[in-house]
Amino acid sequence: MRSLRLPAVLTAVVLVATACTGESGAGGSGGYPRNETLYTTGTAWGPPTNWNPIMEGNYAVGTVGLVYEPLFLFDPEENDYTPWLAESDEWPDENTHVITLREGIEWTDGEPLVAEDVVTTLELGHFDIHYSNIWDFVESAEATGEREVTVTFSEPRPQEWMNWVANRAIVPEHLWADKDQAQVNDDPNADPVGTGPYVYENHADDRMVWRRNDDWWGTEALGLEMSATYIVDIVNASNEVTMNMLGNHEVDMSNNFLPGIDQVIERDETITSYYEEPPYMRSANTAWLIPNHEHEALGDPEFRRALAHAIDIDQIISGPYTNLVEAADPTGLLQPWDDYIDHELVAEEGFSYDADEAVRILEDAGYVDEDGDGYVETPDGEPLSLELAVPSGWTDWMEAANIIAGNAEEVGIDVTPAFPEQDLLIENFRRAEFDLMINNDRGLSNTPWTYYDFIFQLPIRDEQITANYARYENEEAWELTERLAATPTDDIEGAAEITSQIQEIFLADLPVIPLWYNGLWSQSSNRVWTNWPSEDPDTPDSYATMWNNLYQLGAIYTLAEIEPVE
Amino acid sequence: MTDVPGTPGTADPGTTGAGGERRTSETLYYARRNPKLLIGASIVLLLLGIGLIGPLFIDHGPNQYIGPQSTPPSGEYWLGTTSFGQDVWAQFVHGLRSTFLTGTLGGGIAFLIGTTVGFVAGYKGGIVDEILNMLTNVVLVLPGMVVLIVAVAYLDVRGLVVQALFIGLTSWPWAARAVRSQTLSLASRDYVDLARLSGRRTWRIITSELAPNMSSYLVMSFILLFGGAVLIAAGLDFIGLGPAGGVSLGLMLESAVAWSALQLGLWWWFIPPGAGITLLVGSMYILNVGLDEVFNPKLREL
Amino acid sequence: MWRYIGRKLGIYGITFVVAVTINWMIPRFMPGDPVRSMLSRASVSDPEALERMTAYYNEVFGLDTPLHQQYFAFWAGLFRGDLGVSVWLYPEPVVDIILRHVPFTLGLLLPAIILSWIIGNRLGAFAARSKVLDNTVLPIGYILTATPYMWLALLLAWALGVVGGFFPTAGGYSFALTPSWTWGFFTNLVSHWFLPFLSMFVVALGGWAIGMRNMIIYELEADYSNYLQALGAPRRLIRRYAFRNAMLPQITGLAVQLGTIIAGALLTEVVFNYPGLGTLILNSLNNNDFFLLQGIFLFVVVGVLIANFIIDIVYVLVDPRTRVRMTGGAS
Repeated sequence: MRSLRLPAVLTAVVLVATACTGESGAGGSGGYPRNETLYTTGTAWGPPTNWNPIMEGNYAVGTVGLVYEPLFLFDPEENDYTPWLAESDEWPDENTHVITLREGIEWTDGEPLVAEDVVTTLELGHFDIHYSNIWDFVESAEATGEREVTVTFSEPRPQEWMNWVANRAIVPEHLWADKDQAQVNDDPNADPVGTGPYVYENHADDRMVWRRNDDWWGTEALGLEMSATYIVDIVNASNEVTMNMLGNHEVDMSNNFLPGIDQVIERDETITSYYEEPPYMRSANTAWLIPNHEHEALGDPEFRRALAHAIDIDQIISGPYTNLVEAADPTGLLQPWDDYIDHELVAEEGFSYDADEAVRILEDAGYVDEDGDGYVETPDGEPLSLELAVPSGWTDWMEAANIIAGNAEEVGIDVTPAFPEQDLLIENFRRAEFDLMINNDRGLSNTPWTYYDFIFQLPIRDEQITANYARYENEEAWELTERLAATPTDDIEGAAEITSQIQEIFLADLPVIPLWYNGLWSQSSNRVWTNWPSEDPDTPDSYATMWNNLYQLGAIYTLAEIEPVE
Repeated sequence: MTDVPGTPGTADPGTTGAGGERRTSETLYYARRNPKLLIGASIVLLLLGIGLIGPLFIDHGPNQYIGPQSTPPSGEYWLGTTSFGQDVWAQFVHGLRSTFLTGTLGGGIAFLIGTTVGFVAGYKGGIVDEILNMLTNVVLVLPGMVVLIVAVAYLDVRGLVVQALFIGLTSWPWAARAVRSQTLSLASRDYVDLARLSGRRTWRIITSELAPNMSSYLVMSFILLFGGAVLIAAGLDFIGLGPAGGVSLGLMLESAVAWSALQLGLWWWFIPPGAGITLLVGSMYILNVGLDEVFNPKLREL
Repeated sequence: MWRYIGRKLGIYGITFVVAVTINWMIPRFMPGDPVRSMLSRASVSDPEALERMTAYYNEVFGLDTPLHQQYFAFWAGLFRGDLGVSVWLYPEPVVDIILRHVPFTLGLLLPAIILSWIIGNRLGAFAARSKVLDNTVLPIGYILTATPYMWLALLLAWALGVVGGFFPTAGGYSFALTPSWTWGFFTNLVSHWFLPFLSMFVVALGGWAIGMRNMIIYELEADYSNYLQALGAPRRLIRRYAFRNAMLPQITGLAVQLGTIIAGALLTEVVFNYPGLGTLILNSLNNNDFFLLQGIFLFVVVGVLIANFIIDIVYVLVDPRTRVRMTGGAS
């Protein structure tokens, strides 16, 4: 049996190797110490390739938030703006906003943060980048002092403006002023120079490693000290791989939707989420059923109302989601925006699951099954069959689409689920080549304006890139939305009056149908790090997530509040 | 695609042209006494029966939510339910059915192409042989799975039939090679020469003289192609390139993994599809060895 | 012999041209616009800006010239080692990305193929015509070779990784390490490599064992064996001849099996999230990154061609008859 000697040797090598590696996984020399390292996953869908904060949606996890920081954060609980790089701000009149920067903030290359940096960042918007549209209403931005920026508006839109202020990362003037269009859009910015609490350490195709910036201004100014020396963000793998890693405590925080995680949370004391019981997770955005209004039946408000009544949302929530999400309010607004919801109106005009009602609405509007095939036809007698598209591979949504199709069938509407590749779907819906789809492109922000902008934005273009995929045309609703944009951010009552009018139109017409609140998926292991945000009053309330744009909503605090386990 | 294990290597094809009757009864005699053949065939037939008849006894669709969620196997739900409350048994029998369909279609198409190419190349020889042989070698070297991934991924229609068609189109080369070399040795036999002299058309000669004399060989090739097609289809289904909205054992496996069946202890969801494929393909292979022994007297254990 | 090798090279050349052509066609004739899908990820809100960027990327990817020109430019690029720029990992060159992943796939494939072939053949040879072994090796071999790669891989990951905790279940090396020439990194690499290797090895092993067993039986029943036996040659000698003769079809079998084994490697890598070409191919697919997909496809084809060529040479070296049968390369 000479031939079997080789495998025997090989097995021995492997066993020795595993023994040396041991439980910790770090082979001694050169590894990041486990108790100083935070392992996260759930945000990155591909290898980190650039650290350019302007390349929204492309940059490595943490580029904005950990390295580049915004002027203000927004606190959704308090509905208030927290000065971050800014020290204070002032509105001398409705067309002028003066922002004063903190003293003593330095870029990681040693240069101080100055007003010119903010001006440069704004002026990058003259290139074709994702925030170019602020120049529709910003007239000028000037450095009126070393640390004072004055922005004047051609048209006051404080809600929209503050959305920029509380989201967009400031870049250093001394490195970015000379860049041209191609560099701004393409430059991987491999050596990011920011102001934030972490700096680039390393990366590979399956991970992004950040190291703590011990000179971070926030330690002194805000009394915040980042807990982990290293943050290793792992590129998303399959659900089952992530589940294995979490179970083995190889990751500390997972921001993935993991089916059945409720069972794990119940079973394993060391794995926790925000709530101890259903829905376990907080809400991050609303999943909408978006009909194409260019379609004859879907353009009919009565038909949409019937469809809204036909969907048994509880079946989706208890089925694929195992109660990890909550049903959406009929207005679709997230819980932190409760002040903007006209509850009386909702009680009167809102919809809920009622198949009989759906059938009644269909009949009244002339949608009946004349040819006896089990499905209704249009009032003109044309057969009606719809396709409901969700991106291929989004298992929870695919399952939800199956359920909705089944629900629709029960009231006689013929809906077939379809699972195109995500990119193909995006391509198609932009050009109005779809019947029905599920979408959650907009999430929690500083103002419900972002939602109404998403639903009502006019004019309709050949391609709808970021908003109004349904192609709903309602001048009145859009005018109200623009008025909402122009409402001062502290005038919640004034804003609520406008949103109430908007909701009247929304509930009557149902241009899009709110389904459920997608969760802010976050499950944490308490084996190495603890004090994760939860509903327990002794723990922090910030968001525990690495998702882009949530640092600006306070997720950054979580990184300072977690504590190493002794 | 190309499962060599058990490929009937040098089985002597068609030792006799005449006296077929006696051979048939002899073959049957040995067939009834070959345990490999019997075990393999009965498992395959059992699975086929389940796939064909099983769905008739189930009055709900395989993907419907019909029962309580995540229940282990019981009298009511023989293989338990998925985490949405789908009946795993219903999925399994429907899956078996479409797995048989994929295997038959995919294997069948590959078989047709492979044998046609093999026969024509082997019988015609010369430039035809050169060209067909070249084609075979080119397709053989192209990594089939990668070609399939690329092709299936961008097809607008992702149906079971399309999948089977593509599998068939990429997995025929080794069969063509094998049939060609068998044909080469047969083509020089007297009775083939006789047929050729009598002016019969090529196609007639292939179907009436060549094919019958290597029928056992052809059956075994088909079995291997069938098994290969089932495995490839399962692989494609698993990485999410399966037929949309369909049921198959590969898709069951995919969804069991996507919904963390193993991690959540739902073994009754994870085990059946994989075990089903293994059992089906494995017993097909064993059946094949059995057949080989029956057809090839030299291999019979004395 | 040289003619034989020349012929083989000719076929490989044609295969290569076919592969390159298929490859070139992928992004151009498939539904879905690569540039558009890339822009969909960078949320550009201004339609004019979108148009300008589309034109810009069309130029970068050379999609704005006539088709035949694109085809020749593609070949020219190929010889410069330029396979274009990845859309998914923009702006990284495709070649760089692939080269980063190739070592992992090779490190998995080569040992799995070679070890399973050697050991499988030995096992099969032992099993042939030995009642006890035959009755155990045969069924186990068939079950193994009929097991879907991913299913076995998942079971192994679950049993040895999650429940047993002996091996890590995902990735190429620990997330706490950076690649370095240290013992610690090497052992870590090996521990991550072991499970994917094992599952590929085990499935392939069954196939070889059965193949060898069947071949040996054919050989033992061949006329020359009977003749030797009649002459009273020792059993060991006959078996040795049989083994040597049975090796030849097993070598060609290796060439035929390459495709299946590569397919298995792709699936296994996906299960273990192993950073090789399999994971990469799935990623490029899901991200509509045609350029990357093309590049990987080309790499795999070239790899298979090289492997085939090596097998051919080995075959010629092992089997002196090929020298005589100069044109018999195809049977």
